[in-house]
Amino acid sequence: MKVTGTFLFRGPREAVWDLLQDPAVLAKAMPGAERLERTEGDRFEGSMKVSLGPVTAARFTLVVELADKAAPERFAMRIDSQGPLGFTRGKALVELTPVDEGTMMSYSSDLQIGGRIAAVGQRVIDMAARMMTEKGLESLQKELDARLAGGSRA
Amino acid sequence: MASYIGERVRRNEDARLLTGRALFVDDVQLPGMAHVAFLRSDHAHGRLRGVDVEDARRYPGVIAVFTAADLGDFWQPGPLLVPPPPVPGLEFHARTQVPLARDKVRHVGEPIAMVVAESRYVAEDALALIAVDVEPLGAVGDLEAALLPDAPKVHDELASNLAARVRQQKGDYDRARADADLVVSRRFVYDRGASAAIENRAVAAAWDPKSEELTIWDTTQAPIPIRNGLARLLGLLESQVNVIAPFVGGGFGPKIMMFYPEEVLVPWAARRLGRPLKWTEDRHENFGATTQERSQVHDAEIALTREGRILGVRDVFLHDNGAYNAYGLTVPINSQCTLLGMYRVPNYESEFKAVFTTRTQVTPVRGAGRQHGVFVMERLLDLAARELGIDRLELRRRNLLSPDEFPHNHEIIFQDFAPLTYDSGDYLPAFDEAAALIGYDRFYREEQPRLRAEGRRVGLGIVGYVEGTGIGPYEGARVTVEPSGLVRVATGVGTQGQGHFTAFAQLVADALGVDVEQVRVVTGDTREFHWGTGTFASRGAVVAGTACRSAALAVRDKVVALAARLLDAAPETIELEGGRARGRGRDDASLSLGELAARANPLRGAVTPGMEPGLEATAYFGPDRGNTANGVHAMIVEVDPETADVKILRYVVVHDCGRLINPLIVEGQIQGGVAHGIGNAFYEQLHYNEDGQLLNASLMDYLLPVATDVPDVEMAHRETPSPFNPSGLKGVGEAGCIATGALFAQAVEDALGHAVEIRGIPLSPDRLFHLMREARA
Repeated sequence: MKVTGTFLFRGPREAVWDLLQDPAVLAKAMPGAERLERTEGDRFEGSMKVSLGPVTAARFTLVVELADKAAPERFAMRIDSQGPLGFTRGKALVELTPVDEGTMMSYSSDLQIGGRIAAVGQRVIDMAARMMTEKGLESLQKELDARLAGGSRA
Repeated sequence: MASYIGERVRRNEDARLLTGRALFVDDVQLPGMAHVAFLRSDHAHGRLRGVDVEDARRYPGVIAVFTAADLGDFWQPGPLLVPPPPVPGLEFHARTQVPLARDKVRHVGEPIAMVVAESRYVAEDALALIAVDVEPLGAVGDLEAALLPDAPKVHDELASNLAARVRQQKGDYDRARADADLVVSRRFVYDRGASAAIENRAVAAAWDPKSEELTIWDTTQAPIPIRNGLARLLGLLESQVNVIAPFVGGGFGPKIMMFYPEEVLVPWAARRLGRPLKWTEDRHENFGATTQERSQVHDAEIALTREGRILGVRDVFLHDNGAYNAYGLTVPINSQCTLLGMYRVPNYESEFKAVFTTRTQVTPVRGAGRQHGVFVMERLLDLAARELGIDRLELRRRNLLSPDEFPHNHEIIFQDFAPLTYDSGDYLPAFDEAAALIGYDRFYREEQPRLRAEGRRVGLGIVGYVEGTGIGPYEGARVTVEPSGLVRVATGVGTQGQGHFTAFAQLVADALGVDVEQVRVVTGDTREFHWGTGTFASRGAVVAGTACRSAALAVRDKVVALAARLLDAAPETIELEGGRARGRGRDDASLSLGELAARANPLRGAVTPGMEPGLEATAYFGPDRGNTANGVHAMIVEVDPETADVKILRYVVVHDCGRLINPLIVEGQIQGGVAHGIGNAFYEQLHYNEDGQLLNASLMDYLLPVATDVPDVEMAHRETPSPFNPSGLKGVGEAGCIATGALFAQAVEDALGHAVEIRGIPLSPDRLFHLMREARA
């Protein structure tokens, strides 16, 4: 599954960059994420619960590794999540470009999805991925707003 | 004497089935029974680096967890069920399924670990605690890409993903092509489907340590080979292993696969743990773990004269084996041999490559590759008819084999290893009858023009097929007249709804002159009869039925001899009728079969040298080769130009399965087969993505035809008896579904005024919609 898109953050690029490197923030921004912790360097581990069509509240382990970091412009993520109802594995690329209104993030991910979530969730999977992405990005914007207003909501 | 053969006898088994009193495997409940669930691969292809089951083993209620490492010597690949036929130059690489994946996983749904627990709930919860470490490898799906040098290899030790290469030919196609006025060539694709039986697979097993017997209830179509194989695997005598295939909710082929991992593991674990165990497949498992069928890509061409005489056919195709090929070449050989159909094809060249892919294994599913051959040939004829400007029905008529050409040897080897020989048939009247029933001439003269004028898209299809049925090796039966007067028949084939309890009873009732309801048939229980192979290839009635008849005739001889002695009459004057034996013209003196049975087994003097006790006989039947049934299907459809939905307005089948035992059962088989064929042609398709994930593995997304999609089939029976068995029988189990894909394509094209050309099956409203849109663009 490929998910690509752009999102306009209302804030400067460095602030957006810092936000995206903070696992506590990411955990809150990812719908269904229960926790995400830095285990070493750029490796984060955690777990999430996802509902997808007929698949309800399945728990997945989540490993995210950041790579090819070029602060504050771009970074890549390797994502590996597994659970009894399937797996998601793949790569995502995030690029940040300063624009007049703030920072434009463009993202593209190429994910392999397998197991029961692929087999019975296919009809809703694209929509679910898009919705989860949008929801996540909106929470990130709120977090950014809070940070820029002078205090972290974390 | 009245005969039951050919009568519409109501089915003996239906009272039990319709009132819920028939035993299915999932009904088996035993004291202390524990339940089994399997952890299955989520990956299409990957190296198995580790399976951690420790947490699952500690989970409350879990009795045991097994991985490949726990199986020891019991871990071994399954048998190659059908070795390749003796075709010169054939290349074949066998790779069969394993009980639990050990080094690699090769398709989604392949079992990796087995959990035994106090309940299925606990077993499934424990599955979630198993950690599997898989290094993903590239999926293999596209059949052409699979054979490229850089393709990931499904079986590392093989040179490539090529599983087999088979070339068969008769005559000289190249010369035929050079002589032809017209050559039509196309690529045809026939994609995968599931068999979707209403009952999934199930296995229950119990080991009795005191009698040292293992009893297995299995939804198999082949209880005897399962018993034999398990005895060998477990180091037991065959007599220590009983396999019972009770009523089964649809077989359709996948249930004759042997041995499914679950089928060897559940009995093994039941014996090892000393607990009765049961596993019942759920629908999701079924989509990955039960064998499938159908993906083939054909590059085919036909060479004809301008008068429409077929000079030759060439077909080069790729066949998707899935990850393993326990069934050898049965399916693609069927495609290769069925392509020739009802037609005189003097020159034929056919080559296929079977390919390993990272998909569920392919084994015969009702039709078993025959529909692919029919699709290719009938499509070529449709295209040629248009190019030549000859009516497509007329083109077929010009090429039909005539009755004086039988037996007709096609000079290529069939799935039963014998040369493909049509035993008998009379095709032209079958075509004419189907054309008359569907109203071919009137449709084109009146109906289609009138409906077209109203803006309706209505089309007609008419295609024929020849189906190899009733192959060997053999089946057997034992017939016993009991002192109660009831007649017991035991045979080894399993039953999945075919009406065996009635058809076999009719054959036996005729031989013994008893009421058909007095004949009690037992099938699929190795304690009752333990020689035989199974239910497949439309052979139950032909092969097991003939064995039942032979055994009944042998019993008849015993009845007659005993009655003649007791009635003091000459044996040739003894008549059997209404369950009694009497001398001709001596109505005052008769004996019931029950009395005779008692007299044949007295406490004193029952057996003198050369005699056997009782009224019982066992007989076997093994045909030298299969026989060929045939049929013509015709259909009228209406296509909705907006939604591309296809409504079947009429469906006609004229078929010939030799002598009919019971038209009611034959019609049921055809109606069911047509339903299966309609699903195959217009609804059912397994969608795999490029990662080898099956995307529609549920009945929410995998479309099956429902009752409103399946018309009442109008049928006509023709009877060209087979010379290969004494009753002239041929098989009918698969007939209904073989022609449907080709028929759909032709009828839909006709409805759309040939705006689209259909080269792929299954169609679907979606696929047809896109074809129509492309055609408009």
